[in-house]
Amino acid sequence: MDVHEDTSIAIDVEDVSKQFRLGTLGEHQRITEAISSKIKALLKGGASGASQGVKDFWALQHVSFQIRQGEVVGIIGHNGAGKSTLLKILSRIVTPTCGRVGVRGRVGSLLEVGTGFHPELTGRENIFLNGAILGMKRSEIRKRFDQIVQFAEVEQFLDTPVKRYSSGMTVRLGFSVAAHMEPDVLIIDEVLSVGDQAFQNRCMGKATELGTQGRAILVVSHNLAAIANICCRAMLLDHGSIVLDASPKQVIDRYLQGMRADTGTVNWNTTSAPSSDRVRLHSVSICNAGRQSSSHQVDIDQPICIRIDYEVLREDTINTVQVQLKDENGVYILSSANAPSMSLTQDDFFSKPLSVGRYRTECELPANFLNDSRYVISLFLGPEIGKPTIRCENVLAFSVLDTGAMRKEYLGSWYGPVIRPRLAWSTVEAPL
Amino acid sequence: MNQINRQAKGDFESLKYYGQPDPLGLRQLKEAWDSRELLLSFFQRDLLIRYRQVFIGVLWVLVQPILGTLIFLLLFYFMGARKLSQSDATVFWQDASVILLGILMWQLVNNSLRDATGSLVNYRHVITKIYFPRMLLPLSSLLCALFDLAVGGVLLVPLAAWLGHSFHWQTCWAAFAAVLWLSAFCFGAILWLSSLNAQYRDVGYILPFLMQIGMFLSPVVYGFDRVENSLSKFWQIVYCANPVASCIGLARWGVLGSPLPPVLGLMLAGLITIVLVVSSLIWFQRSNQWMADRI
Repeated sequence: MDVHEDTSIAIDVEDVSKQFRLGTLGEHQRITEAISSKIKALLKGGASGASQGVKDFWALQHVSFQIRQGEVVGIIGHNGAGKSTLLKILSRIVTPTCGRVGVRGRVGSLLEVGTGFHPELTGRENIFLNGAILGMKRSEIRKRFDQIVQFAEVEQFLDTPVKRYSSGMTVRLGFSVAAHMEPDVLIIDEVLSVGDQAFQNRCMGKATELGTQGRAILVVSHNLAAIANICCRAMLLDHGSIVLDASPKQVIDRYLQGMRADTGTVNWNTTSAPSSDRVRLHSVSICNAGRQSSSHQVDIDQPICIRIDYEVLREDTINTVQVQLKDENGVYILSSANAPSMSLTQDDFFSKPLSVGRYRTECELPANFLNDSRYVISLFLGPEIGKPTIRCENVLAFSVLDTGAMRKEYLGSWYGPVIRPRLAWSTVEAPL
Repeated sequence: MNQINRQAKGDFESLKYYGQPDPLGLRQLKEAWDSRELLLSFFQRDLLIRYRQVFIGVLWVLVQPILGTLIFLLLFYFMGARKLSQSDATVFWQDASVILLGILMWQLVNNSLRDATGSLVNYRHVITKIYFPRMLLPLSSLLCALFDLAVGGVLLVPLAAWLGHSFHWQTCWAAFAAVLWLSAFCFGAILWLSSLNAQYRDVGYILPFLMQIGMFLSPVVYGFDRVENSLSKFWQIVYCANPVASCIGLARWGVLGSPLPPVLGLMLAGLITIVLVVSSLIWFQRSNQWMADRI
């Protein structure tokens, strides 16, 4: 951050707040509704009647910050923290309720790949249309046309309507156009983290490249590893306010701390629980195998048990449970489900129609497998693996404590590796 | 703390802040002009989409007014407003050109209002994902309707020439002024309709009905001489306060030599157009602030 003190400010956000109205008022889809509610308000006496039954919801509250040219800034926060609203205000799509936003130079906002693509138009026509929507001049697009086509790898389909493209091709073409605009301020949303790993790497590479060219970049992502890698500064957004503005490492630490339940358990009551029409979660907890009480700190030399309690609400529900594990930088470590081919033990309830009632699914991680670090669990429940109807991302965090089990010979730092399994080693004499 | 920073360093200068006050909505016009390339792209897109997978392509633009003219001509003869035996071919073609001009002008209103009203709602997914002057979407529909009119004009000019109308300056400027005026009226109307439709979808439902009424309230399929014959002077002025009626009357006066509508009516219609355009600019600018939230 200090490096950029000398460059001038590219984005100035000045005390921005955004209020949404929940409920029916202000959302009249029909003129008759609007008129009838006005009449009702009049009958009740006074204009104040109109505000009855309306809940105000502040998506953002008093947000202020500046971003200098050449800074790549990441924004992280839970779902509903106001990240998307902030980006939409910065991209000028949404007008803030109060406060103001100023930018220097041309703003490129990428909240979606391929905005405005029309399926009936050919690839060539869509490049020009999408480029124009992104704010590029025709001459610029013409100049970079070959590069765009090459980057997207769609040469032979240029005169084919986009409706006949595969979804991968459409995304590549959309990103390629966006990657060739040269804005002074670039605003990128989560959407870029769709697509395969190679595509994501390209996106990240492009973002870093733009940052070194002295452009200001603002990225929203759930991908903490990406934030840690490409950003020089990060902000943590919580309930519509910025709670921390510091280095990515500090912000990520704080973010993970915030989601970590001290007891190692997340309990939901029936109203707030993540649920589908068939299944409702009760709790997720973590403990060392064999212990009843959960704890957010588990020992490295004991198996770790992830315990999921849920209720089946309808007869004959088919349910699968999938667990994902990430480290504190968001690096994706493993994914597993209770399917027979993925499990060491037989789960008799997998893919069987369940009757109404409470169930507990447990997953055991082996002892001496994870490093002494912090890990985050995501949960997915649904009738089929890979098609979850309940998704709880980053629902629970836990720390693995080093008990010294692997330190009898080596006392130094184990910092760095994501996992620390015991492997089978052997040395034999092998004479030539 | 921010305040101190602001004064200490001059680097907040030349930052462009969003949402500068724009009470008359003139800034948005400048913005729209600045992104005229995008307008052309939208226009191009609308045209391309219209004729994709359409066999006879742009000929449809000609088919519609010709068929419309034929149908109304037949209707008149059928209802006995004209008698085939008494009239010669010239009267028939004269009627045809009057109706054709009316239908072409009406198509400008009808097509632009019809397409523009849904333009913002149909591109909701774009409006909520990226910022650009939203005015461009309805404007592009207006350009398409003007394109139709220009193609239709290709029909009318030879017909008028064949009927013996000589084209002099009066013809040209009257026709040009009428089209420009009608475009201004459509501009005001589509800004109102498209932004209202973004919040109240009823607009889209009631519009076809209003357009049907509007078509008979304006001298589209009949000449202004019929209005003169059946309405008193006062009601003629009221009739002409409708800008569409005045524009068609003006165009027919210029191109086909029909009688000029009462000047007072023309002035009234002009005033109404100005009020419509100014109010639509103010309203559209205001509606821009909630557009992405409520659309």
